[in-house]
Amino acid sequence: MSFEIPDDLYYLESHEWIDPDTGRIGISEFAQDELGDVVFVELPDEGEELEQETEFGVVESIKAVSDLYSPASGTVTAVNEALFDRPELVNDDPFGEGWMLELDIDSDLDGLLSADEYADQIE
Amino acid sequence: MTLEYTQARWNSDDEGYEPHLAEKNETSVDTDDVPLPDGLKRDELTLPELSEPELARHYTRLSQMNYGVESGPYPLGSCTMKYNPKFTEDVAAHPAAGVHPDRSPESVQGTLELLARLENQLARIGGMDAVTLQPPAGAAGEFVGILIAKAYHESRDDERTEVVIPDAAHGTNFASAAMGGYDVVELPSGDDGRVNIDALEAALSKETAALMLTNPNTLGLFERDIEEIAEMVHEVGGLLYYDGANLNALLGRARPGDMGFDVMHYNVHKTFATPHGGGGPGAGPVGVSEELAEFLPSPHVRASDGGYELFEPERSIGKVHGFMGNWLVLIKAYAYIARLGDEGLADASAKAVLNANYLASQIEYEVPYGPFHHEFVASAGEQDAADVAKRMLDYGVHPPTTKWPELVGEALMTEPTEIENRRSLDQLAEAFDAVASEERETIETAPERTTAKRIDQTEAARNLRLSWQSFDDGS
Amino acid sequence: MTARNSHGSPFAPHTTEETTAMLEAVGAESVEELFDIPESVRFDGEFGIDSTGERELRAEMRTLLGRNDDLTEFLGRGHYDHYVPSLVDHLADRSEFLTSYTQYQPEITQGFLQVLFEYQSMLVELTGLEIANCSMYDAATALGEAAALADRVRGTSGSQVLVPELMREERRSVLENYTEGAGLTVETYPHDDANADVEALSEVAGEETVMVYAESPTVRGTIEERLEEVADLAHAHDALFVLGSDPVALSVLEKPATIGADVVIGDAATLGLGTSYGMGLGLFATREEFVRQVPGRLVGASTDAAGERTYTLTLQTREQHIRRERATSNICTNQAWVALRTAIHAASLGPSGLVELARECLEAPVDLARRLDDIVGVKAPVHDRHHFREFVVRTDQPAQAVRETLEEYGFAVHAIDEHLIQVCVTETNREKTDALVTAFREAAR
Repeated sequence: MSFEIPDDLYYLESHEWIDPDTGRIGISEFAQDELGDVVFVELPDEGEELEQETEFGVVESIKAVSDLYSPASGTVTAVNEALFDRPELVNDDPFGEGWMLELDIDSDLDGLLSADEYADQIE
Repeated sequence: MTLEYTQARWNSDDEGYEPHLAEKNETSVDTDDVPLPDGLKRDELTLPELSEPELARHYTRLSQMNYGVESGPYPLGSCTMKYNPKFTEDVAAHPAAGVHPDRSPESVQGTLELLARLENQLARIGGMDAVTLQPPAGAAGEFVGILIAKAYHESRDDERTEVVIPDAAHGTNFASAAMGGYDVVELPSGDDGRVNIDALEAALSKETAALMLTNPNTLGLFERDIEEIAEMVHEVGGLLYYDGANLNALLGRARPGDMGFDVMHYNVHKTFATPHGGGGPGAGPVGVSEELAEFLPSPHVRASDGGYELFEPERSIGKVHGFMGNWLVLIKAYAYIARLGDEGLADASAKAVLNANYLASQIEYEVPYGPFHHEFVASAGEQDAADVAKRMLDYGVHPPTTKWPELVGEALMTEPTEIENRRSLDQLAEAFDAVASEERETIETAPERTTAKRIDQTEAARNLRLSWQSFDDGS
Repeated sequence: MTARNSHGSPFAPHTTEETTAMLEAVGAESVEELFDIPESVRFDGEFGIDSTGERELRAEMRTLLGRNDDLTEFLGRGHYDHYVPSLVDHLADRSEFLTSYTQYQPEITQGFLQVLFEYQSMLVELTGLEIANCSMYDAATALGEAAALADRVRGTSGSQVLVPELMREERRSVLENYTEGAGLTVETYPHDDANADVEALSEVAGEETVMVYAESPTVRGTIEERLEEVADLAHAHDALFVLGSDPVALSVLEKPATIGADVVIGDAATLGLGTSYGMGLGLFATREEFVRQVPGRLVGASTDAAGERTYTLTLQTREQHIRRERATSNICTNQAWVALRTAIHAASLGPSGLVELARECLEAPVDLARRLDDIVGVKAPVHDRHHFREFVVRTDQPAQAVRETLEEYGFAVHAIDEHLIQVCVTETNREKTDALVTAFREAAR
């Protein structure tokens, strides 16, 4: 099975992605497939400060709970509130409607994985 | 001969397989006649109002839509689903058992003596010096063990912060240690499925309050290095805790106390055949070495001149239950142990181990680790273990515990217990094998013949409806 | 020969022949060979436990339990007896219920799941809260779990748990053990004539407060009259208000949710089981917003592949088998079968039966207290409050001596202080009140 891994995003080993242009963060298609049906997402409030590679929330499926790690430091500028009522968006469209939050990025992204590197990791 | 099975099922249009009580009849009753001022009482109470015959039918039907040990094989790994002898129910129903916890000890000498006798039986079976009966379940027993470890170290002015637990241990071990305020250090298993001595060496330190271990472990394997393990733990000043979930493998063959364990819990609803009751009540008595007896929960029973009394051990950790735990369960455990005696208990373990070995030898699924004792963990291989379990239901057997321990891919953790005879094990094996050879599509859509078809877990979690009141919200 | 080994377990059905064949199948000479236990830790001794036949054992245990004195109990203080109809025993003892375990396979255990769903629903009606779990061990451990929940959900830091000065010592001890690991400390607030002293409470509550606990009925049987103020006070400090009660009292008392309770705990086995030497059923209900922080099992509704409404355990990711050290609690085996008994008992009473029973619990103590108050050297009730089931009596004589004398007359009561006796009266002992009054007259002399 092959998973979509958009080239224009950066990734963490723990399967979160970040869009360097918009600061949007979510989890990869591979990650949502591993988790199974997502039933609940816990996200920080707007205005909260996140630190790179530290926990910012929780994603829960019926069989597992995973912490979410931020690919970058920065201030939360938007939260995808649609996920509170429709957590299935994370499964259906992980790189689109299933995004989790937007960050005003305040750190460099050099340490993150490129699409190719991430692809190697999940192989 | 593969058995065909069809579970009872009533089907109504909008009300599932049996209407719930409130759908059958619900009434509101006002509280006008209740002698309390208005501000202190509710206006009305709205609950089901059914006649006794209606209720008898309701619960009888629901029981027929349920499956217990008496319905058929129940080889749920780690849970020791034995037959629950009927006479123990009658003994526990004795009116004199229904005493109030605040009765004077002098007026409940029968109860106290029975408790003392059970403590004594359990101490002998586990090779421990003193036993408390207070913990109402295995997890509560673990919590007592953790609290005792804490009190023990503190009594030596030694504050420790960590509890070491193998990765394949019962989830309760981790949670109990955390409740006691400890950090959990997870111990990776070795290639043979047992404790890896090097990893243990690395995990132990002066911060180690205790190592929690079950033996045989969750793969059914005996930790052959148990003496070395005990020595290593004691060397750093830690305590060795025995999770009694798998004691049914060892009765009369080995005792935790002799292996070097300082604290242990017994699961009387597993090893000593008290009924599991659809989830509980159980009881999780805790045994300790002499050195730790002063920390046991209060109250504790002891013989006094000519009778028995309750007392508080000198440095008691206090309490983990409102009184003496699940007393009615303890009566049943005592009755079971007294009924079997030394030879019966030893025979129970012998047959439990024989049954697991026999069943494993009769099924097609691979069993990667051994030699195992009272339970084995087979692998469903290319099949999804959860689907395998669902399909097994169609053959009238309860499936094994699935997908755990994770050391085995697609795990089927199987514990037939001593109560099945060869014929019954053969039927069980046929159920395993039938499913093993079935098409993916068949098992993915199973079960067919149970009351309910495959239930949508995702819907249950996404659209939470936890009471009948929540149905009124239009969902 | 197909005889069973006469020295074996009567519940292991193997014939000798069968054992031999099975050993052959696994390639072992003897069963002992299957035990992979090093010699050095082999147990060669004996337990010294003799096997006893069922008939002899039943007789022996009857005799043993018969050593409990046959007293009429007027005892309460958090553990209560109500008459449990025969229906409860007979239905709850059906083996499909009794001998099953946790509903890990919901398709084959719809019956028990529905029972637990119905139990949860009845508690939702009784408490007015949206969520009830399907059991904790007892009231004391439910209280401990409530404190742990309060600690998890409270936004700010803080470590103080406030409990009434008058409460069962056992509950407090359990609470301390459940909260110590989380770094919480349990402190008390004073009472005013056996109700919460709200003014004094406002003095001790503060920014550090995580939770305020109150009981109604209180351990002395009085009904709290200012719970809304207690709740407001807790909320003013961003603390949770936890109320202890029981299903019979909740049948008539103002709904806890209306008063402002965030969690209700208690002993639900007050229906279905009775006192049973302290064995209980922990009632635990809370607000919907805390659903992911609830300890223990929850049954929810879903749909099966046939499109029918069904029930299943849900939100299991909160539990220890998935979340391990970060679980909401370590509880696994719970009190499900007691919840079944409680549900059947509650259903058999119905709302009219429950309200009627609760009414009796309000009237009986008034009646008995009045009669005891007529005795010289006795004042009852001590507290000028509404009472539920029980009340406190002041005796000129030392309470312990009065208690002992009453025991000689065949009655058990509580001696709770130097000159204070506590008496609990329900439908189970109400017929013996004449005799109790007569004995009390002698005992208080």
